[in-house]
Amino acid sequence: MSDKNKKRRRLTPGRAMVSTVMLFFFLAFFLLFLKDFAWQSLALSLVVPVIILFGSVGITKLFPADTLLLSLTNFLCALGVLVLYRLDPDRGFTQAVNYGVGVAAMIGCTLLIRYLPSFRFVNWAFMLASIGLLALPLVIGTERNGANSWITLGGRSFQPSEIVKIALLISMAHMLSRRKVIFTMGFAAICVLILAVQNDFGTALLYFGTALVLGYASTGNLLLVGAGVGGAGAAVVLGNMIMPDKFARAMSRVEVWLDPWQDVQGAGYQIVQGLIAMANGGLWGVGLGAGNATVIPEHYNDFIFAVIVNEFGMLFGLIVILMYAFIMIRGIMIARNTRTMFHALLATGCAAMIALQVFVIIGGNIKLIPLTGITLPFISYGGTSLVSSLCIIGILQGVAARNAAGIHEDRELAMQGGGVR
Amino acid sequence: MKQVKNNIKRVCIFLCALFALLAVYGGYSITVNGNRWFSSGSNTFVRNKKKDVIAGSILDRNGQVLAQNDAENNRIYHADAAVRRAMVHVVGDSQGNVNNGAESFMASALYGFQMSMPERIAFFFQGQKRVGDTVQLTLDSRLSAYASTLFPSGKAGAMVVMNYKTGEVLAEISLPQYDPQQITAQAKSDPKKPFYNRAVQGLYAPGSTFKIVTAASALENFTDAATRAYQCSGLLQVGERYVTDAGTDMAAGKITSHGQLTLLRAFQVSCNNTFAQIALNLGDQKLKKTAENFGFNDNFLFRDVVVENSQYPAQNRTEREIAWTGVGQSELTATPLHMCMVAAAVANEGVMMEPYTVLRTLSFSGSLRTQAEPRVYRTAMQPQTALTLKSYMRTVVTSGTGTGANIPGVQVCGKTGSAEVDTQENTNAWFVGFIDEEAHPYAVSIVVEDAGGGGSVAAPMARQVFQWMLNNGY
Repeated sequence: MSDKNKKRRRLTPGRAMVSTVMLFFFLAFFLLFLKDFAWQSLALSLVVPVIILFGSVGITKLFPADTLLLSLTNFLCALGVLVLYRLDPDRGFTQAVNYGVGVAAMIGCTLLIRYLPSFRFVNWAFMLASIGLLALPLVIGTERNGANSWITLGGRSFQPSEIVKIALLISMAHMLSRRKVIFTMGFAAICVLILAVQNDFGTALLYFGTALVLGYASTGNLLLVGAGVGGAGAAVVLGNMIMPDKFARAMSRVEVWLDPWQDVQGAGYQIVQGLIAMANGGLWGVGLGAGNATVIPEHYNDFIFAVIVNEFGMLFGLIVILMYAFIMIRGIMIARNTRTMFHALLATGCAAMIALQVFVIIGGNIKLIPLTGITLPFISYGGTSLVSSLCIIGILQGVAARNAAGIHEDRELAMQGGGVR
Repeated sequence: MKQVKNNIKRVCIFLCALFALLAVYGGYSITVNGNRWFSSGSNTFVRNKKKDVIAGSILDRNGQVLAQNDAENNRIYHADAAVRRAMVHVVGDSQGNVNNGAESFMASALYGFQMSMPERIAFFFQGQKRVGDTVQLTLDSRLSAYASTLFPSGKAGAMVVMNYKTGEVLAEISLPQYDPQQITAQAKSDPKKPFYNRAVQGLYAPGSTFKIVTAASALENFTDAATRAYQCSGLLQVGERYVTDAGTDMAAGKITSHGQLTLLRAFQVSCNNTFAQIALNLGDQKLKKTAENFGFNDNFLFRDVVVENSQYPAQNRTEREIAWTGVGQSELTATPLHMCMVAAAVANEGVMMEPYTVLRTLSFSGSLRTQAEPRVYRTAMQPQTALTLKSYMRTVVTSGTGTGANIPGVQVCGKTGSAEVDTQENTNAWFVGFIDEEAHPYAVSIVVEDAGGGGSVAAPMARQVFQWMLNNGY
């Protein structure tokens, strides 16, 4: 073996991390295989580590990408597949397929951002499509868990708001980079209002928070944030006058949040069972496959964090929170390395959206804030959610790739005798 | 552009703060409340485990077996029905009828969740069912059974006995009781709710026993509180209504007055008029502050005793309500256990110990798993205030309303109470007190519902309990 090859195989921290993650999932699925002796478990114990290898290392061979961001994302996605498979093998399998599709979509987004310099010509189309898609459930929507924001197509239901996220991030970053602040905020307000009318308060809160973060980042004006919060307050007061029934329903959620133990068999059931599941887990968890968190309604979706704490323990739960924090910080680092305003805001929006989504749903699980139905990025069951979350990572990768290319160009210029500005 | 990047940095700090909030609140919430959530009746996880684990035994402080599993894995309670009934609210039953009995609150130990990994592995390889830990309580089952016999027949109520130096609860009984071995349909439908643990769940108006707190507030806020002269006319006009004294019946035109008196004398004879004046002089804020020092309005999170929170009424109240609060009425509520802690704080130089009921847990093989240590809950008042109050409470027993509790040659101190309840014919009889002797550091709190005066009903019960304890080596 030549010296060069030896050097290549050295164990770098990145490789150590990816190998550990692969080993973790191999062992986890193998453990489930020892329990049920189903061929699916054995297959997943081999397939999932391979997807992780491709998703975190393979991609970097195609184009320059951020390995840390990729390995964190892949770990969380695979964790979702694992937990869902353990709860219900069918869901786990579907999620594994979604994961594969999501990785492909992620690569697509990366290439799009890397090679499309401006969204000037598609921005209007994006905005109109966003509002149209968001409003669509009002016309042909189906209701789920009280939220009227779902569309059923060909027997499969999905939330347009998940797809619109991407368009919204791009549009807002584009317009704010051109200093159209008021116009952007107006557009965001319309989107938030449509979601609120559909009772999808979780997503409305998420859009609202992301818009405020981007508004602040582009202007540095805290008054703008204040005006946004004030406007939301005014909308709530107005909503109370126009639709008192709906308002009362929203308020009942706040009451359940304040004391879910008042009605443990009724309104408070979901939160109480979630809290109990986490308490059962304790610091170290009851063990993979040993919990009974399936008693929680929506355990595979809104309450997946409670399931994770139940089976893996609070310590592991804290590590999961830390991983999301790292993803966010990595996103912000990418944003600070950009050369154009558009890409800086785009990356900031992506990082903020992931972070706020995590805060809203985990905060709801642990009873820090009122519960609103929203998915935990990368982990919760659901194709659109997983794909859109991976698309956001794809966008971040695209921006990172542009940054890398920019540095490369500078170096070329410098070598040719040109100056770096 | 540079400005924008600075803004982005601030956004990052804000989002990091959100994550920190999640982690800190999540960790804190589960650490603090975890055991309460775990032992909740809604936890199906524990219920399912009962089939796979042989539950550990529950012992009293003297090693008497209160609950254990027999060869067929059925739950068996103490052989003596009187002991079973007296201990049922602390021990609980296998159906989980009692909230937070040891059977449910200590489920994590009893069902082997506290086992170490090597122990679990050993059980796994031996192919045996896991055996949970043994839980030894601080309670004395004989004392509890004896104390239960002291209640007037057919009356509901509660009694708590604790060691005021350590916080160990020696007796915590609630009446009516039921037999955990044979839970009858009658027990389930009884309007007096025998499953209800009045000692920790019963929120009563503390009545005149609250005068301990009012007096403490006066002593700490007014330098001349002990020497000031008060005038009792039998009824105190506040606005258009009156605060009356026991013995005064306005409808019959009968007025019993105490005349001019000091704080000591007012405490000794439990003069409502004086304490209403004191409350008005103090004002709502100062009285509330003292009450909160004693634990009112606090969210009690004791390690193994789940107690309803005592309430000092909210703000913006009328003069009349404030006056009545000074004598322990008017929306003011406390549990018998909390009033026992109030008396205990006076006995323990103002330091309130945290009550606890679990002495230790032992593994299946008999090795010690956990051992409880006394902990201070809070400092309720200055040591000097406690000393003064102690002397007041002593005179109540020697020559005041509580002479029924007096034991010759023993330093018994106490305060009686007769709390009015709108829906009842008679008052609730209260007595809180303690033995002021280094060798016998015990405090008691007694409430008997719908029974009459605290001095005539509850004080003699305290005497009998203390007498029994002294005779039995306490």
